[in-house]
Amino acid sequence: MSERAPPVTATEEQHDDQETQEESAETAPTKDVEPATDAQPTPVTTGAESVVRALENAGVEHAFGVQGGAIMPVYDALYDSEIHHVTMAHEQGASHAADAYGIVSGEPGICLATSGPGATNLVTGLADADMDSDPVVALTGQVPTEFVGNDAFQETDTTGVTMPVTKTNTFSSEPDRVGTDVSEAFALASEGRPGPTLVDLPKDVTNAETDREPDEPRTPDTYEVQERADPEIVAAAAERVENASRPIMLLGGGVIKGDAAEVCREFAIEHEIPVVTTMPGTGAFPEDHELALEGAGMHGTGYANMAITHCDTMVAVGTRFDDRLTGGIDTFAPDAEIIHVDIDPAEISKNIHADYPLIGDAGTVVSQLTEAVDESPKATKWRAQCQQWKSDYSMAYDTPEDEPVKPQFVVEALDEATSDRAVVTTGVGQHQMWAWQYWTYTEPRTWVSSHGLGAMGYGLPAAIGARFAADDDQEVVCVDGDGSFLMTLQGLSVAVREKLDITVAVLNNEYIGMVRQWQDAFFDGRHSASDYGWMPEFDTLAEAFGAEGFRIDDYDEVADTIEAALVYDGPSVIDVHIDPQANVYPMVPSGGDNGQFALTEDQL
Amino acid sequence: MTREQGLDGPAPEERPSPAGRRNKQGIRIDPEVEAKHDPRRTVISALVEHEPGVLAEASGLFSRRQFNIESLTVGPTDDDERARITLVVEEPDPGIDQIKKQLRKLIPVIAVRELEPDAMRRELALVKVNAERPDQVAAVADMYDAKTVDSSPETATFEITGARQKIEAAIETFSQFGIREIARTGTTALARGTDDTAAPAPAESTANEANNTPYTQPADDD
Repeated sequence: MSERAPPVTATEEQHDDQETQEESAETAPTKDVEPATDAQPTPVTTGAESVVRALENAGVEHAFGVQGGAIMPVYDALYDSEIHHVTMAHEQGASHAADAYGIVSGEPGICLATSGPGATNLVTGLADADMDSDPVVALTGQVPTEFVGNDAFQETDTTGVTMPVTKTNTFSSEPDRVGTDVSEAFALASEGRPGPTLVDLPKDVTNAETDREPDEPRTPDTYEVQERADPEIVAAAAERVENASRPIMLLGGGVIKGDAAEVCREFAIEHEIPVVTTMPGTGAFPEDHELALEGAGMHGTGYANMAITHCDTMVAVGTRFDDRLTGGIDTFAPDAEIIHVDIDPAEISKNIHADYPLIGDAGTVVSQLTEAVDESPKATKWRAQCQQWKSDYSMAYDTPEDEPVKPQFVVEALDEATSDRAVVTTGVGQHQMWAWQYWTYTEPRTWVSSHGLGAMGYGLPAAIGARFAADDDQEVVCVDGDGSFLMTLQGLSVAVREKLDITVAVLNNEYIGMVRQWQDAFFDGRHSASDYGWMPEFDTLAEAFGAEGFRIDDYDEVADTIEAALVYDGPSVIDVHIDPQANVYPMVPSGGDNGQFALTEDQL
Repeated sequence: MTREQGLDGPAPEERPSPAGRRNKQGIRIDPEVEAKHDPRRTVISALVEHEPGVLAEASGLFSRRQFNIESLTVGPTDDDERARITLVVEEPDPGIDQIKKQLRKLIPVIAVRELEPDAMRRELALVKVNAERPDQVAAVADMYDAKTVDSSPETATFEITGARQKIEAAIETFSQFGIREIARTGTTALARGTDDTAAPAPAESTANEANNTPYTQPADDD
């Protein structure tokens, strides 16, 4: 859970000079927001102002959205706010941008949309945030209360539609309560296991008069989060770790969300326990460390999958044992006693039985374990075995000069050209897997991807959101696929308008590559609807948007072109024509045995 | 044209493979700890905020997670702001555990508890039968303590309350006369004596039930 500065409670006492202050703030906007404690905001007069005030009180600096009829009162109130609103080209982009903002900053990302199509377009991003437990707050306009249920223009049952893909949602029906509903949604998005929340805002409610200031962001009384695990189970788990002969740590996305990477690193290094990450856990442990086995699962490294399969003790932190990680349940770590740390009790023994269920905040519980473990496990032989696997199942690939550029080479070149703290966003498919496998991640919150939902089109809007959350010295690179890029490339207009320094590398094979790879392996090579055969020239297209376009066809262009694109101060797009035959390996087929990963197609 | 793609390394059949296995519930198969998880019927009670949408949220959860729910009832409590949902579910133990934990995660849900096998469970049924043989119908009604709610020359409608088993037995017996229509409420239930059915509990105790739920045997009450 992230720490936030205590929110400011707006006072009811107001001062005469407020209006002048507000005006001067408007005419001379300063980048640094005044410390909220000194600010004397004007009293709210409408529901919409109360909504915006709730965001301001929560410390929100950026919001991503698209205007529209039913949300207009909120946008009108936003007009006077210091919050920087980024007008997106499509609501899906708004929810993905907010999601990435949440991942990189650790604070809820805010997205706004109008009723009906605005709200339904947000759904993909909300479902993504729900699957990946990313903190997002969505504010949607709604038709006036008296029309609700009458199939009014642009009416959709937004709370109904989003119920299965949000942590919680609210239909806000009281002008005096609407600001507090937003505050509560903000608190719920980040406290405990994070996730997306939504507040549906009928136009009559936001238009209505109210002088009611929103309450501070606080979760409802019925919401309980356990921070510390049961000490008895901690003691038993610690004993298990001490007696392990083949231990591993499996670090999931919860390690990053709980800001527990540091304490997990210390624990692993102190006790010399090899570390595997899940895909959302990427960056929780430095991949250049000797103990790092990198990511496991369907396209995880061979050595990570061997270690997972053969370990006798697994300290799994902040992971929900997704099927892309476990492969077939029957063959998942079949000899391992599982120590499972998670803040959500419902994840314990949901997919994989936990021998030592430790419910609590990742950082707190791993600190408890650190306290409780006195002796390191005697695992010299096991560590040597893991190193042996690292060399047996090397990720090395060939780069024959007479074949098109290998995508792995491009990813490595991008990694080489950027700093350790560069943020990588991706779409979904082959390029995503290469970006995951061949970039060496060393820091949390630098890998931003659509894991559980697998939403193509995530990469570009995520790069926009990440750009606002990242520090100025952090490069933001979107490694995209041609198919994924084509789904949301209208976001380039946003990147250009906002002058965002992002670099998009489109690994272009003119295929829906992952589908093509599966068709080759499982459908007799019948490329049904996966073979584009033609793609727009992405560099020229980028130029039309006002971005800088580049193109790579040969190995000798890679380094210089990447350098030029990174140097360009603004959005740039590199259309990289990669080897269309390149496939992602290792690969564990759906429901397969992780230890039996294929290294070539004929092993599938 | 397809060139050879892939990575080097020992092929799958050349690799060591562990002997162990897990079952479908993700539990290691080890003769000493192996427990067979047959579905069992049990009653889960949830105290929830009395507000619109809670029932939709709960029932949406059950359908999308494929939980097997036999009946679901909801009604107000002595507190105007709280309602009680009573569920009869039939699932293996890990499934029952998931139902409880997922239900507890819903924000408007205040407390969730699986009732003891001796909990009081009642259901009400209205049974409309053909009344061509009034004496015999009355005798059956008497046998099941059924109250007459309505009667006409052609039909008689009875109200039967009791545990599910009793209601099913009554319906079966009434069926000899020809049943025209039935409406049943589903089971509602309370814990016995001073035991709370589902009351707010500190987070620790809810959470620590994680894997330590003492599984109870199915009651023969229903």
